Amino acid sequence: MLVRVAGLSRIYTSGEERVVGIEGATFDVAAGELAVLEGPSGSGKTTLLNLLGLLDTPDAGTLVLDGVDTAGLDDRGRARFRRERLGFVFQAHQLVPVLSAEENVALALWIRGLPEAECRARAREALAAVGLADQAGRRPDALSGGQRQRVAVARAIVGRPALVLADEPTASLDSETGRRLLDLFEELHTQRGTAFLFSSHDPAIVARAHRRLRLRDGRVVEDVRLGPSTGPAAPSPGAAPGGAGA
Amino acid sequence: MSLRWWRLAARNLLRHRRRTALTGSIVVVGFVATTMTAGFVAQTFRSLAEVTIRGLGGQLRIVNPDALGKTDEEAMGLLLDDWEGLARIAREDPNVVQAMPRLTFFGLAVKGEKSAAYLGTGTVPALEKRASLTADSVASGSFFADPRADDVMLGGGLARAIGAGPGDLVTVMTTTPDGGLNAVDANVTAVLRYPIKEVDDRLLFLTYESAARLLKAEGKASAVVVLLRDGADLETAASGLRERLARAGRRASVKTWLDSAAFYKQVQLLYAAIFLFTGLVLATVVVLAAANTMTMAVFERTREIGTLLAIGTDRRDVRRLFLAEGAILGVGGSLLGGAASLLLRAALNAARLPLPPPPGGTVGGVLHVDLIPLAYLIGFALMTATLLAASWWPARRAARLDPVKALAHV
Repeated sequence: MLVRVAGLSRIYTSGEERVVGIEGATFDVAAGELAVLEGPSGSGKTTLLNLLGLLDTPDAGTLVLDGVDTAGLDDRGRARFRRERLGFVFQAHQLVPVLSAEENVALALWIRGLPEAECRARAREALAAVGLADQAGRRPDALSGGQRQRVAVARAIVGRPALVLADEPTASLDSETGRRLLDLFEELHTQRGTAFLFSSHDPAIVARAHRRLRLRDGRVVEDVRLGPSTGPAAPSPGAAPGGAGA
Repeated sequence: MSLRWWRLAARNLLRHRRRTALTGSIVVVGFVATTMTAGFVAQTFRSLAEVTIRGLGGQLRIVNPDALGKTDEEAMGLLLDDWEGLARIAREDPNVVQAMPRLTFFGLAVKGEKSAAYLGTGTVPALEKRASLTADSVASGSFFADPRADDVMLGGGLARAIGAGPGDLVTVMTTTPDGGLNAVDANVTAVLRYPIKEVDDRLLFLTYESAARLLKAEGKASAVVVLLRDGADLETAASGLRERLARAGRRASVKTWLDSAAFYKQVQLLYAAIFLFTGLVLATVVVLAAANTMTMAVFERTREIGTLLAIGTDRRDVRRLFLAEGAILGVGGSLLGGAASLLLRAALNAARLPLPPPPGGTVGGVLHVDLIPLAYLIGFALMTATLLAASWWPARRAARLDPVKALAHV
C-alpha cells in the first residue's frame, strides 16, 4: 500500500477556539491510483494534502508513506522524503519566475544533487510528456496559465515519484484547460503508473477520478470508487460506506 | 554550494534591477569612501612623517642616556662628548647619508626693548640644509652661509614677537650647562616659516660654532642626528648603530624618530579614530540598506520559498541562496567600487585641490590620495562581509519559513 492513514488528526487552536483541520482520517491509497479529495471549502482537503505531503505534522494518528512511518522523520528527513518520493502540483503554478520552463522542471532534480546534464535531459523528457517540448526555453511569464500548470506537472513527475499530490490544480484554469490537465493526469497515470491524489470541488473534475474521498468538516465521510483503477479501493474504517459509481 | 544556486541568485538580483542597483550603488559608495579615506589618511601620515623626520633632521638620534626622561632644562646640561667620533661610527652604515650635531638650548631673544622665549638649535649649516626642512622654510632672507659666523635664523612667529627681520641684530641669551648666563649678538640671516605653529613661534637657529661658544660646549652635542637613505629599515639601522656604539665603548642611546614624535602619534591616533568611526557609519548604512533589500526579497518571494521548501529543497540551500545574493551584491559592488575608486583617485590627484594647513600647521598642501592596495583588499572584505552579515537574518528567516504558511502567503 502506497499510503496508509489511520486516525490522522490536525487540530488548530486560535486563542481558545479549536478549529478542526482534519480529524480521525483513516484510508489507504494503493500504488497507481487516481484519487480525488472532494469537499466544500474548509472541509479539510488542503490540510489533508499538507499532511500527506509532509508539509504539516499531524497531532494524532499514523501516516505511512511508501512503507515509511513518517512519525520517525525529522524536518530534514521529511524534506528528503518530499524531494525523492513525492511530487507536488499547487493551485497556482508556483514556478520560479527567473528560471525557464526546463530549469523549473530540472529544479526538482537539482535539489537532489543530480548532475546537470541528467537534470536537463530528464527535464526535457518530462516537458515532452506534458506536451511542452517546444516551450523549454521560455520563462513562466511567457507561458499561458495552462502551460504554466503543465510545467508544474512536469516538475512534479520528473523525479518519478510514487505519488503526486495536487491541491486544486485546476482552480486557476478555465474549464477547457482544466479538462486538458485532467487528461494529462490520466495519461501519466496510465503510462507511468504514478498515483495521483488531488483535491477539487469541481464536479466535472471529480467525475474524472477513479476514486473519490469526500470530506466534510474535517472528516472523511465517503470513500467511493468511480471508475477504472489499477487496484481496489482499500477498506476505509473511518469512512462512511460507499459504493462503486459512475 | 553548486554553481546552479549561484546562477539562480544572480538571476534573482537581475530580476529586481532597480533595487539591486540601489543597494549595489551603496556598496560602491561604501567601497569608494573606504579606499579614498585610506588613501588620503595614508598620504597625510606620510607627509606628516616626512615633516617630522625633516624637522628632527633625521630618522635616528644619538643622545646621552642620562638625558632620557629628563626635563629640557635638566637635559640641557647632559651633552654628548666628541660628537664627531659618534658621527664617524654612525657613518659606518652604508644606509647612513650623514650624521650631524645639534645643540639644544633655550632662553630669551631680545631686540631693542622686545624679548621672547625661544627654543634654540645649534647646527652645522651644510648638514642642516641637506637634512631638514629649515632651508625650505626660509620665508625671507637667506639660509646660513658662513658656518663660523654668529648668525641666527628665527621662526616667523618669534621674529614677529620681537619685531626682527633679516639684517637685524638680535641678542640671544641663555644659561650655560654649568649655570652661567651668556649671550651672543647675532645677525638675523633669515626668517623661517615652519609648518607647525607652536614651533614657529619659538624657533631659533644658530650655527653650531656660535651655539657651542654660547654654551661653552665646543665639540659637544645635545644629539647627533642621523639621516638614513630612503627605504632604509629604521629598526635595523637603529639596532646596528646601537651595536657599533657598544663595541666602540661609547655610552650613548639611539632613539628613532617615532620615539620622539608625540605629535605624529597623536595625529595618527586621531585619524585612526576618525577612520574607524567613518568605517562604522559606512558599514551601518550598508548593513541597513542591504538588510532592507534582502528582507524585501524574502517578503516578496515568500511563496517561491514555500514552493522550494515544499518540493524538498534543504533549508540550508534556501539560506545559502539568499546569502549568495548578498555575496554577489558585495563582490559585484566592491569590484565596481574598485574601478570607481581608481577613476576618482586619478581625477582628484589631477585636480590638485588645495588643502588647508594640517592641525597645528601653517602651510597648506595639495590633496593627494595614495593608492593603498591593502585598503582595496580591506574594502572588498569589509563590503562582502557586511553584505553577508546583512543577508544573514533575512536568509535565516527564509530558511525557517513554514512551507504551508509560505505557500498561502498573499
